[in-house]
Amino acid sequence: MTAIPGGRASHRRGWRPPGPARLAEARLGWLLALPVVAVIVALVFYPLVLGFSLSLRSVHYASGTPQTFVGLKNYIDVVGRPDTLAALSHTLGYVGVAIVLEMIFGTLMALILNRGFGGRSLLFAILILPWALPGIVSGLLWTRILNPDNGLLNSLLYQIGAIDHYQVWFSSPVASIVLIAIVHVWGVIPLTTLIILAGLQSVPEELHAAAAVDGAGPAAQFRFVTLPLIRPAMAVALTMGTVAALGIFDEIYVLNGTALGTRSIQMQIYLTTFGQLDFGRGTAMAFLLALVTIVFSVFYLRGLRRQTT
Amino acid sequence: MHTSRLVQVLRAVGVVAIIAWSLAPVAIGLITSLSTEADVQAVPAHWLPDAATLANYQTLLGGEVIQGGIRTPSEVRAFGTAMVNTAVVTVEAVVACVVVSVLAGYAFSRLRFLGRRVAFVALIVTLEVPVFALLAPLFQLMAGAHLIDTQLGLVLVYVSAQAPLAVWLIYNYCRELPQEPEEAALIDGCGHFGVFWRIALPQMRSGIAAVSAIVMLSVWGQFLVPLLFAPTNATKPVTVLITEFVGKYNSNQPLIVAAGMLALLPPAVVAIALNRQIRGMLSGWSN
Repeated sequence: MTAIPGGRASHRRGWRPPGPARLAEARLGWLLALPVVAVIVALVFYPLVLGFSLSLRSVHYASGTPQTFVGLKNYIDVVGRPDTLAALSHTLGYVGVAIVLEMIFGTLMALILNRGFGGRSLLFAILILPWALPGIVSGLLWTRILNPDNGLLNSLLYQIGAIDHYQVWFSSPVASIVLIAIVHVWGVIPLTTLIILAGLQSVPEELHAAAAVDGAGPAAQFRFVTLPLIRPAMAVALTMGTVAALGIFDEIYVLNGTALGTRSIQMQIYLTTFGQLDFGRGTAMAFLLALVTIVFSVFYLRGLRRQTT
Repeated sequence: MHTSRLVQVLRAVGVVAIIAWSLAPVAIGLITSLSTEADVQAVPAHWLPDAATLANYQTLLGGEVIQGGIRTPSEVRAFGTAMVNTAVVTVEAVVACVVVSVLAGYAFSRLRFLGRRVAFVALIVTLEVPVFALLAPLFQLMAGAHLIDTQLGLVLVYVSAQAPLAVWLIYNYCRELPQEPEEAALIDGCGHFGVFWRIALPQMRSGIAAVSAIVMLSVWGQFLVPLLFAPTNATKPVTVLITEFVGKYNSNQPLIVAAGMLALLPPAVVAIALNRQIRGMLSGWSN
């Protein structure tokens, strides 16, 4: 799946004169790659090392305590703290709700968009719009819908008689997490749909025709022809959706601030690091979340490789 | 025959549902921004304002109309300043990121040099490193270099966060381009740089447009990074200012939503104008 450079060098060797020309090529190659490599070394790899070292120290800027090496103490403290565990369970809630909705409705939307019809290009422009908008602005648009005092959802449900008084949507933790996850899904599902759609478009039309001849209805065709073939695309979409939901922050911040009941792990990291100025514990938490994120993506993508080979 | 008719009807319903789902929050935002406080606070809701007004936009852009909420000219100016900050830093970050990524993406896909494989793999691995893992050490680094609250600091953070994906997209795009014109130019005695500059670069135009759009959308919407790295009006972007408005002018929802509508206009225009290129790039990336 991932093509790494180097593979095509062998067939080129035939016509390229070695010597000064090769040297000039190598020099130019490095020259062109250097700016990006420098930025990544200085602003990704170096901070990673620095961050790991921070996470092993007690660095408490608020109290002015000097840096002392504490080993894995920050990691152990962080894992045992009830606010971390609460934030972790909220985050798993966001991830669970988000990926279930994204996979079901993303697949449905991709199936709907998979046939050619007039105005398809305009429809795609509309589809990707929510993905393009800043998370802060999406959250803001949804506050008008979800506001407990004058929100449109309350008004709609009241006017059609579904509820007999206005609901405070963010009063129950479960409802809050589901609603915030829906707002998050609004911004992510265009990408889920595009990824699954790309998988759908690689399914040859003849397979459906053959299945239809064999008497398979649309449901059976989807179950036995389409689904197995789009599974790789679904795995990619699932990975992307999980990683996005694990890092959820902006939507929560606009819709419910940093309230305890809806705080995500990402928000807990932010508050610990930059609110309490506890860089040691904050970074330890961030590294744990990064680890979880990487484990999730490796897990999905390994499952994917097993299926395709 | 019956099933196919049914499928067609279901599909049409689905298309309408997709349009409604995608556009409803934006349409509601537009209506809200044209309403008065009284319209929005009405219970049960007024689905349309009694009389549409541009007062909220006038307040934000011109400062002529002072209505509940924003009271001082300096707060009005803050919105304009934040929009300009976002626009300037976004343009700078997109240009910087796309330039370095095009150079590197081309080099990784076409040129042979020692360490190419290692450098490329190291770069792609950083796609898996979430930005939040780096915020605290980056903050220390930037504070040490006095780059907090500067455009340069923000641009550096954005470029380091966006470049791995941009390089990966450009790399894949280059691999799809026909190689024959470049090989012919090499044989004709054109140097490697000449080949890149005169032959390859002009062919990469639509790929560069797509990557620029993807980087633009991501940088424009940034919130957590500038919340930390852009604390004052000198660099504060519109996303951060909007969350401050939410706290300050809680009662004046139309005004805040109008600010949101102005903030979503540039990314919406880019996404709609370049949606074909963006789609092509994103589906290629995932495969």
